[in-house]
Amino acid sequence: MHFPTILLLSLIALSAVLIGVLVAWPGVTVTRGGKMLAFLVLFLLPSLCMTMGVSSELQRATSTEFCLSCHTMASHGRSLYVDDPTYLAAAHFQNHRVPADEACYTCHTNYAMFGGVKAKFNGLHHVYVQYFGKPHDPIRLYEPYNNRECLHCHLGARSFEEGAVHTADPDLLPAVKANKLSCLSSGCHDVVHNVGELSKVKFWKGAQ
Amino acid sequence: MKIAGLEKRLRLAGMFLIAGLLVEAVCLLWARPLAFILMVGGGGLLCAAGIVVYFYSLVSGGEATRQQSP
Repeated sequence: MHFPTILLLSLIALSAVLIGVLVAWPGVTVTRGGKMLAFLVLFLLPSLCMTMGVSSELQRATSTEFCLSCHTMASHGRSLYVDDPTYLAAAHFQNHRVPADEACYTCHTNYAMFGGVKAKFNGLHHVYVQYFGKPHDPIRLYEPYNNRECLHCHLGARSFEEGAVHTADPDLLPAVKANKLSCLSSGCHDVVHNVGELSKVKFWKGAQ
Repeated sequence: MKIAGLEKRLRLAGMFLIAGLLVEAVCLLWARPLAFILMVGGGGLLCAAGIVVYFYSLVSGGEATRQQSP
């Protein structure tokens, strides 16, 4: 267990004990000190605990482990270990082009304004579908993958701006940057997770 | 001495808050996607209810003193 979680659990325990004291002896609130204690214990501490708790959960929701804790995502998790550099997700994950412990979130969040909020609402929809609906098989994105998420890291990078294939056609990079031509187009980076082909590939065992 | 309305409300607020904090603690230990929903939907609502009851007990000042029993 992480130290911040232990700290938060301790704060929750302390708050619960102090609230318990007030519940057992509510008469202490007749004095000025008791009123101040009540304000601290019945408003400030619970508010602090909830704020820290929600913040902690939101942070945890960005972890690869969290995303892969749903059974539906198991095959996508396995695809990160495919021993084939043409697999886009695997190549990014294995070479730490994205943080390995936040691999899913790094590529699948939305880097527009309020993108994080939108990602969270999508996450709530995932949970709803997981428990009360029927996930698509195979699962699919809500909307076509936006180049903006790739360009968040790659824009300005030498390998992207000056790559031989990228510069062969002068119209290519402007079209990619305007999201008119997808990075995942056929013939480009079109092998991403390919979970349907996992039974036919080898897996990298280095970090497992 | 008889427990006045204020004290009843403080007790109610305290119980809501303890329940909310317990839910939050369980959710922090249970690292699953459903835990977040439970924390916000269960723990958050219970804590909010506790705080609202506490504030209500403050503004309903007419009963803020201990009633003397005969």
